[in-house]
Amino acid sequence: MFRILLSLFILVVSLPSIAQQAGKGLTQLPDRPQAPDFVLADLDGNQYRLSDYRGQVVIINFWATWCPPCRAEMPSMQRAWQQLEQESILMLGINVGEDEDTIFQFTANYPVEFPLLMDQDSRVINQWPVRGLPTTFVVSPAGKITYRAIGGREWDDPDLLATVRALTQ
Amino acid sequence: MGKDEQSGLRSWEWTQAGVSVQLVQRLPDQTRAFFQARGFTSADADAIARACVFQTIFRNEGKEPLAYDLNDWETAHRGQILPLQTRERWEKTWQDKGVDQAARIAFRWSLLPTRQNFEPGDYNWGMTSFGLLPGESFDLSLLVTISGKTLTGRIPAIVCATDQP
Repeated sequence: MFRILLSLFILVVSLPSIAQQAGKGLTQLPDRPQAPDFVLADLDGNQYRLSDYRGQVVIINFWATWCPPCRAEMPSMQRAWQQLEQESILMLGINVGEDEDTIFQFTANYPVEFPLLMDQDSRVINQWPVRGLPTTFVVSPAGKITYRAIGGREWDDPDLLATVRALTQ
Repeated sequence: MGKDEQSGLRSWEWTQAGVSVQLVQRLPDQTRAFFQARGFTSADADAIARACVFQTIFRNEGKEPLAYDLNDWETAHRGQILPLQTRERWEKTWQDKGVDQAARIAFRWSLLPTRQNFEPGDYNWGMTSFGLLPGESFDLSLLVTISGKTLTGRIPAIVCATDQP
């Protein structure tokens, strides 16, 4: 048991510096596919249906608690959310494959106020063009997937936020 | 080859034309604990842990889109050419063994995507597994396509971690 704990400690202290190296920018998808609709619950059991937010920009982040770049970008997502929530832009974090307890424990160390939804059976992620975590999409008010980011980002970067905000006009 | 002085973990990196591939050793104990915590039996977690697993960081730091397919990558080990153990190869094993769906989901998303397209600035983290025993050494031949042009590389003398780095 000691060796396992030591190994986990080594992993934790060795890798975060690499995880901090966020990617850059958002990729515009030329074909702007229709965003697959979904209904998912958050940790409190509230249901979120994507199509209910037609007319708003929606940022959708697929993530997992064990994924180092997912963890690294969470604080910047929260900072971005603090700016965006008053601007009719929604941010949804979709956790892949984990249960309520795991996500709840995670939020003790990474407190976020935007909705964290659960895709426990990976039914939703399998309908979206995701190959690795984290992957984040920006959905236009018309419900089209307009931008994509593979890997973590600094979500409160002013240039990145300007790109998101431009979709509201 | 690099070595983290604190953990003793060794790493290997290949960079060319804005492509960066970094392989960081994972101790078998790390991998064993990770998958046991996600629903694998001790025996199955041990099978993964002893399959030469690396944390892999693949970045597109260049100015062009790139694509890769791990099925195009090969390892050279003791005169043999071997494929990587991709998500799809492992998935067949888990299906045959009737591994729980939640564990399979965690496993799938933990591994580096088998195929990926990166725009500039994109990157992924994920485990890669090479199916060799702890302590074994191999050369990795990799292939990346950048704006339709093929780029190949080789990382020699990569070593699978043992539990005493």
